[in-house]
Amino acid sequence: MSAVTEHIGPGPAGIDSAGATDERRESIWGKALYKFSRDRSGMLGLGVVLVYFVIALGVWFGIWGMEWSDVEGPKWGSMSREHWFGSNIIGQDIFQRSIYSTKTAFEIGLVVAVLSTIIGALLGALAGFFSGTWIDSIILWLKGVLDSIPFYLFVAAVAFALQGNPWAMHVAMVSTFWTTTGRLVRGEVIKLRNFEFVEAARAIGVPQLTIIFRHIIPNTFHILLVQATIVFVAAIKSEVILSFLGLGVQDGVSWGLMISESTLEVLAGFFNNFIAASAFLFVLVMAFNMFSDSLQDALDPKKVAES
Amino acid sequence: MDVLQYAIRKLIGGIPLILGVSFVSFLLMVYFGPDQTFELLGKNPTVEEIAEVRRQLGYDRPFLMRYGEYLQEIVTLDFGLSNSTGEPVSAMLARTIPISLALVTPGFILGNLLGVLLALIAAYHRGGWIDKTIMGFSVVGMSVSFLIVIIAFQILLSSSFGLNLFPVRGWNVHSLQDYVMYVTVPTLASVFVALGYNTRFYRAVLVEEMTRDHVRTARAFGIQPGKLLYKHILKNSAIPIITRIMFSIPLVVVSGSLLIESYFGIPGVGKITFDAITTGDQPVLKAVVGLTAVLFVITLLATDILYRAVDPRVSLK
Amino acid sequence: MLPISEKTMPIKLFLSVLAVALLATVGCTDEQQVTVQRATSAGPGLKVFKASLDGAPSTIDPAQSANIYANTVVLNAYDTLYRFKYLARPYVVTTNLAASMPEVSEDGLVYRIRIREGTYFVDDPVFDGGIGREVVAEDFVFSLKRFFDPTQRPRGTWLWQGRIVGLDEWKVAGSDYDQEVEGLRAIDRYTIQITLKNPYPQLIYTLAQGYSAIVPREAVEAYGREFSSRPVGSGPFRVLSYDSSRIVFAKNEKYRQVPVDIFEEGYDRATQGFSGVEAIHGRAPPFIDRLEIHFIQENAARWNSFTKDNEIQYLSVPNEQVDNILLSKQPIRPKPEIAAKYHFYHGTEAGFVFMTFNMSLPDFGYSEDPERERRNKALRCAMIKGFDWQRRNESFYFGLGQIFPGIITPTVPEFDPELSRESVELDIEGARKLLADYGWTAETLPELAYATTAGVSQRMFYEQFRGFMKKIGYPAHKIVLQQYATFGDFSKDISDGVLPFIAKGWGLDYPDAENTLQMFYGPNGSPGANDANYSNAEYDRLYEQAAVMQPSPERTAIYRKMNQMVIDDCIAMSGLSRTRIYLWHKNVIGIPDREIVGGFYMRFVDVDNSAGAN
Repeated sequence: MSAVTEHIGPGPAGIDSAGATDERRESIWGKALYKFSRDRSGMLGLGVVLVYFVIALGVWFGIWGMEWSDVEGPKWGSMSREHWFGSNIIGQDIFQRSIYSTKTAFEIGLVVAVLSTIIGALLGALAGFFSGTWIDSIILWLKGVLDSIPFYLFVAAVAFALQGNPWAMHVAMVSTFWTTTGRLVRGEVIKLRNFEFVEAARAIGVPQLTIIFRHIIPNTFHILLVQATIVFVAAIKSEVILSFLGLGVQDGVSWGLMISESTLEVLAGFFNNFIAASAFLFVLVMAFNMFSDSLQDALDPKKVAES
Repeated sequence: MDVLQYAIRKLIGGIPLILGVSFVSFLLMVYFGPDQTFELLGKNPTVEEIAEVRRQLGYDRPFLMRYGEYLQEIVTLDFGLSNSTGEPVSAMLARTIPISLALVTPGFILGNLLGVLLALIAAYHRGGWIDKTIMGFSVVGMSVSFLIVIIAFQILLSSSFGLNLFPVRGWNVHSLQDYVMYVTVPTLASVFVALGYNTRFYRAVLVEEMTRDHVRTARAFGIQPGKLLYKHILKNSAIPIITRIMFSIPLVVVSGSLLIESYFGIPGVGKITFDAITTGDQPVLKAVVGLTAVLFVITLLATDILYRAVDPRVSLK
Repeated sequence: MLPISEKTMPIKLFLSVLAVALLATVGCTDEQQVTVQRATSAGPGLKVFKASLDGAPSTIDPAQSANIYANTVVLNAYDTLYRFKYLARPYVVTTNLAASMPEVSEDGLVYRIRIREGTYFVDDPVFDGGIGREVVAEDFVFSLKRFFDPTQRPRGTWLWQGRIVGLDEWKVAGSDYDQEVEGLRAIDRYTIQITLKNPYPQLIYTLAQGYSAIVPREAVEAYGREFSSRPVGSGPFRVLSYDSSRIVFAKNEKYRQVPVDIFEEGYDRATQGFSGVEAIHGRAPPFIDRLEIHFIQENAARWNSFTKDNEIQYLSVPNEQVDNILLSKQPIRPKPEIAAKYHFYHGTEAGFVFMTFNMSLPDFGYSEDPERERRNKALRCAMIKGFDWQRRNESFYFGLGQIFPGIITPTVPEFDPELSRESVELDIEGARKLLADYGWTAETLPELAYATTAGVSQRMFYEQFRGFMKKIGYPAHKIVLQQYATFGDFSKDISDGVLPFIAKGWGLDYPDAENTLQMFYGPNGSPGANDANYSNAEYDRLYEQAAVMQPSPERTAIYRKMNQMVIDDCIAMSGLSRTRIYLWHKNVIGIPDREIVGGFYMRFVDVDNSAGAN
């Protein structure tokens, strides 16, 4: 139900098209950085995200969160010195599990965001650059096909097809999330294609692929960055529902798994699991959304041109 | 006449899409999907029984043949009988689709209406505290998991631990009053979750329009706010708004209702689809996915035609 | 550019038309299809019993009623020859459609069963003039023959496979219903004769199961596969509507009037008097006008629905609520506020949960190398010692489960309460010692794939199991979770015999230990019920010997010997039977049961609609 990806529209770059690519890039980024650093909510969001990231790194390197699977504690223990958030039904420490889940969340978010952005950028750029040709048609057709299969059905189907492989969820998410990025990139590239610098490059015989990779795609980075953050959030949120349906994380623990565990527990009056996982998830998603918003605002070329 | 030609051309152009979707979904759900054989067998099956059930389920026929049959089924709208219950699939769909529609429509309409309304308010007071508050709530709405909302609402509104105002689950609808009772909690949950996204999107579109030169000019000329909104802003924003609404229709009907239907025990399309996926009941799956694809293409077509009706500048090429 | 109103007008119009159209079609959505008769809504004064089950049947064709949900429904829509006494515990078979207990020949091979006269099928268009005809012996013959006709997709064939003279051959010859089967005949209009190849003491139990329910040939032939959702039976209720969320029955007006004698039914005033069930004595069931069975899988929803006064009136309490409603666990007593509002009853399930090793795989089971086989046995025994049943009981069954050694469950008559509990007691020291003595170290221990269906609870089981094994020195990374998205896929791999370790539950089909012992009988190996692929010649010999014996102390002794073999060979971590707690609203008069008696109890339920009843 949740709109998986968002249709943001930075307005058309109504500035003059005569500028060389590097100068234009620099002015956007420089101005963006400045603007961003003055946006309080964005900085706050970024700060929180970084804190989470450090937590995730810590788990990666085995510094903390390693005892998430030990069944030492009491059943549904309340908060205590040994177990800061209490323990779940089989005595696992909820705090440890929440910390460990941060790593899981980042893994999913990063993998899906990076891969779908790369694929979206590539296919979008190809489609846009060769707009009107068969390459474009095929890519558009592919997008249409993937968009019209309902998301959860698609994920379930992929999970079955891959026979419970732990990467099934990632594959499914990447396959559907790249489409919006692709569409936006394609739109931007179609505009960029007409800029003089592209014609100039062609005129001096630069191969098309080089043009795409060295000149065009870098000019879409602002779109890619924002989309990547949006996909990151979408991936984490989707994981919650997928884990609830049994299609998500297979090994380890995640907030989604903790929440699905807790659906039984809340009836018995034990809320620690539910609250801990929901809180961790909510704060991260919220911070990321704030960060993403500010990023968008900062990178909006129209606004940048005005300031 | 133009429109008709355009429509036909678009429809024909949509055929590769339908083929693509049906092929991909067939591949995934039917060919690689779960093996329903053992669901249908008893406790101590013999080798012959296993082979017999597989034959009945059609697992032993070659891929292309099965795919061909599938395409035929879509065209004739006859998907046979469910493997699990033996009920004709078309009957199942006829029974469940109206329910799903009745379930999601109020939420859909409300979510979008409220979204546009809030977005208008926010955009109009752009930068002010009203705007910031509304946007703040939107972000919160976007950050909460749908699942959490459903569980929380059910406890708060329907159970005896909470307000106990509404039925916990089920769909026992014989009158308008019953309908309101059963649809309220699911609707509230969906609206809660969708509102954040909707508001943000519509606000972005509206702001886009509002900062256009001709609007600024009109404002400078002292035009009344209502008229401004009406004549200049809403009209131009209509295209992206309509596009978004239209595109979310296929998604909302099938995916969105899935969680709600299972949790609230409402016998709709989403639920039978998910049951079909987990058990591998192919006839039902084939029907749902095929129809969704067709629905999607039709939506695309309808949107295009609407574009044309709305803005004659949009070419029919 | 069209003005806004004209543009959005069509959309608004469209939407409002859609909305109205939807409301019109939504209508009475729960009472369509399936039936010919019009449903009447429950007016005042109508007695309605709303029961709940924690799952839904996927089909209600008796030939396919393989799970407890389907079984419950089938028993109310159809007739079986026999049933279980409503109130007798332990469970006792008694007559249903059959007029009396079967006449069995001396050698135990020929059964004669006479059915009651004057039982009619419900009205349905498949009959002449739409009026249901009388049920005759030939109908039973037809119903059983269906299990040997693959086109019917039967799931209960194993109950009678290789048992009845001529039936398997009939299947091979093409399943022609007009052809007579020597061992399964109607020798006159109301008498059935079954001839067995070997004595089969459990036969009478099979005739009390939903599988053996009697269906009319006309309906099966007319409806084909749709018969699984269009029931035409002769049971105490007839189906009004059926979908995935509930089934609604009305009283079958044509049902035979047989007054109930509750003392015959095993009434025990001391334990059952509180329910007021004495009030039904001498009256003819069914007593209610409408029966609704709601299929509510989610515990939360089921509990919420029960605690509201106007929804379901009966449920089997979900585990999470147990601490909220129980005052004490030994003995099991409800809290006063619960006792004030509801009737309360509990019983041990007819079934158990356990885990087995798959002996056909050399990692943990039989091996060609005798040395390895000895070491494997030590490994298995060590793991069994390391499994903490007490903790498992407390975590997941709220301490209410009954832990017992071996594979003979507490609800069967052959259960031995004196049997040594050593095999289910935690012994970490002993486990470690065994591992050390037989050369098992963290490096040499094999990887164990813990297979289960997808689900949160199953995952928790796995994590707890891994935690237990860690304490005896089994490294956590060597115990790997293998989750199956569907039960079908899981069953498939079990049947293929590729899983080394299987956690499962088993529901008894009938109250006879043979039902669980057959799970370790050699010839029943994969793809049969013997997932453990246990192969012990002595065990098999004893099994075959006991299979033809009627219940007796000698047979019980043989059963117990077999039980001991399974324990000694460390084949399984077994077992635990859950205790089920039932609650029902006070205006419902009856003693419900989930298994064995199961769906049969519903015809005896009465509802007191008078104001002060609740």
